[in-house]
Amino acid sequence: MAVVQLSKICKRYGSGGPVVVDNVDVTVGDGEFMVLLGPSGCGKSTTLRMIAGLETISSGTLAINGRTMNDVPAKDRDIAMVFQSYALYPHMTVAENLAFGLRRRRTPPAEVKRRVGETAAILGLVPYLDRKPQALSGGQRQRVALGRAMVREPMVFLFDEPLSNLDAALRVNTRNELIKQHHRLASTMIYVTHDQVEAMTMGTRICVMNGGRVAQVGRPLDVYWNPADTFVARFLGSPPMNLFTVPLSGGDRIRTPAIETPLARWTPAALAPFAGREVVLGVRAEDLHLAAASAGAAETGRIRGRVFAVEPLGAETLLAVETEGGTECTARLPRDTRADVGAVVDLFFRPDAAFLFDARTTAAIPAHVIPANTMVAGGPGRAGAMP
Amino acid sequence: MSADGTLPPAAGRGGFLASRTALAVVIAAYTVYTLAPFLWLATMSVRTTGEISADHYAWPRPFHWEQFRIAWVDSDFATYFWNSTVVVVAAVAVVTLVGAAAAHALARYRFRGNRIIYGVLFSSIIFPPQITLISLYQILVDYGLYNSLLGLTLVYVSLQLPLTVYLLEGFFARIPQDLFDAAKMDGYGDIEIFRRIVLPIGMPAIATTLILNFIQLWNEFLFAVVLITDPDKRTLPIGIRAFMGDHFQDIGMIAAGVMISVVPVILAYVFFSEKLIRGMTAGAVK
Repeated sequence: MAVVQLSKICKRYGSGGPVVVDNVDVTVGDGEFMVLLGPSGCGKSTTLRMIAGLETISSGTLAINGRTMNDVPAKDRDIAMVFQSYALYPHMTVAENLAFGLRRRRTPPAEVKRRVGETAAILGLVPYLDRKPQALSGGQRQRVALGRAMVREPMVFLFDEPLSNLDAALRVNTRNELIKQHHRLASTMIYVTHDQVEAMTMGTRICVMNGGRVAQVGRPLDVYWNPADTFVARFLGSPPMNLFTVPLSGGDRIRTPAIETPLARWTPAALAPFAGREVVLGVRAEDLHLAAASAGAAETGRIRGRVFAVEPLGAETLLAVETEGGTECTARLPRDTRADVGAVVDLFFRPDAAFLFDARTTAAIPAHVIPANTMVAGGPGRAGAMP
Repeated sequence: MSADGTLPPAAGRGGFLASRTALAVVIAAYTVYTLAPFLWLATMSVRTTGEISADHYAWPRPFHWEQFRIAWVDSDFATYFWNSTVVVVAAVAVVTLVGAAAAHALARYRFRGNRIIYGVLFSSIIFPPQITLISLYQILVDYGLYNSLLGLTLVYVSLQLPLTVYLLEGFFARIPQDLFDAAKMDGYGDIEIFRRIVLPIGMPAIATTLILNFIQLWNEFLFAVVLITDPDKRTLPIGIRAFMGDHFQDIGMIAAGVMISVVPVILAYVFFSEKLIRGMTAGAVK
């Protein structure tokens, strides 16, 4: 049980070298499953390694349960970590791998045996205890790596992209296994991934990182429906949110040859600072429809463009459209959608499903009405991010 | 069989048979080429020099097994064998331990001068060891180590250490960093990680260097003949040399001595051959 507090944590390689983690301020609550999410090179793994004690902290403070950990060696932090490569000791059996950390802590042999047996039983590893890692499948190795962390009963669990080496089916199973174990152990867990599905499904909260900085922290659906900037908006969601840089005309609506929509979610006061300037309009792919009626609103937003790709995926069809201004957008449509490549189509959306960002800073322009669909999705704590 | 379950055409089967036969012939020829001198030496080791002079290639009749007793007891081969064993085992042990630790440090730790040390070690492999002979002789004389087994052991360590570090560094550098990080998270310090992770995982490479060093030092002649003069401190290669006079060579006794000297090498191969092959092919097969 632990609270992990990162206060203005920075990581710089060498004096005057590049800053790879920049002023990270995050507190992970007791028993929380925090997911550090971001693209490659955003600093999420480095942050995790600093928490583990495998990287030095250039500046800032790391505290666990109020105790500063900056200078505490990794072995004394009472933290367990599951690595992307599993990092199983190849010359040891599964049982020896599980017991390795306990033996170092001079745990009595009977206790070691009990804990190894218990962990192996929970993870279904009992038949493999005498095998070496090379005789195990990827999924079994992953479970051994998880077991090696669990058996120590640490204060904090760290996961560094542990599912990225598994195939799609196994990834789903192991994801569910991890969720189950988190519920069972109720331990503090910090999980690094670049996979937004993992983040959305597993995290109590997610911390989206970009360029070494924290872009946004919040509960998964909060972040999804209230992205702090265009980076978060595009990073969460597949296909990514469609963004259009457009002038704000008439104060409360956008009107270009390709795009026309009222801005129902924003008060005139909120839009006043952007009058006559360019803003970025965002619409998620699932909020675009081919017929105005299905949008279900009296006045709808509209995007006109030429179809350049139709991707039938079985359960749905993705329609790729290029607007007159050359901006590409994607609509997620019902599976029976038919469209011809080259045809000009109108894509409709509810104005309250639109997002608006400052074109200069990329930051979201706060709205007074929550986005459409959030009521349906029932995301917890949405109002927390409302102005 | 082909994909549809039928046998390949007769011409294809014939070609396959011919290629396998050719391969077997080449392997058999190579085996004879390498094994024949050894077998010839083995037959000479149980014949007297007079018999060998009369007919170089005759089969031993009778077998003079007493030649081994004469070599071992009367010609002091027991002493030479013991001296070789002490010097080589000590040198190989030091080279293996120090070399593995140095290779681990160079492969794993980032510190100022890491690559310079590596470059210096590598450069010492390039030059022939003979160029160090005179300076080593002088150093041993200065420190009172000339004509001593300790001095020869230290020279052997200095000769074999660079290559050992070079070979092991290449292997250790391929051990994933995550294993070290995992061991750290499990509570182990640097020395424990070296002992419990690096040495066991690196055992194929360590066994390779161990056997190569052992064979090379066991057969080493040049430094031993220059740095050792006392008959009771001779190693096996110099001991064998003692049977060669200016006008007469006791070929039968030389053969018996060589047969005695190759026994440890053969035993080393028998015990380490599997690890040797694994070490040499490490990284070649995923």
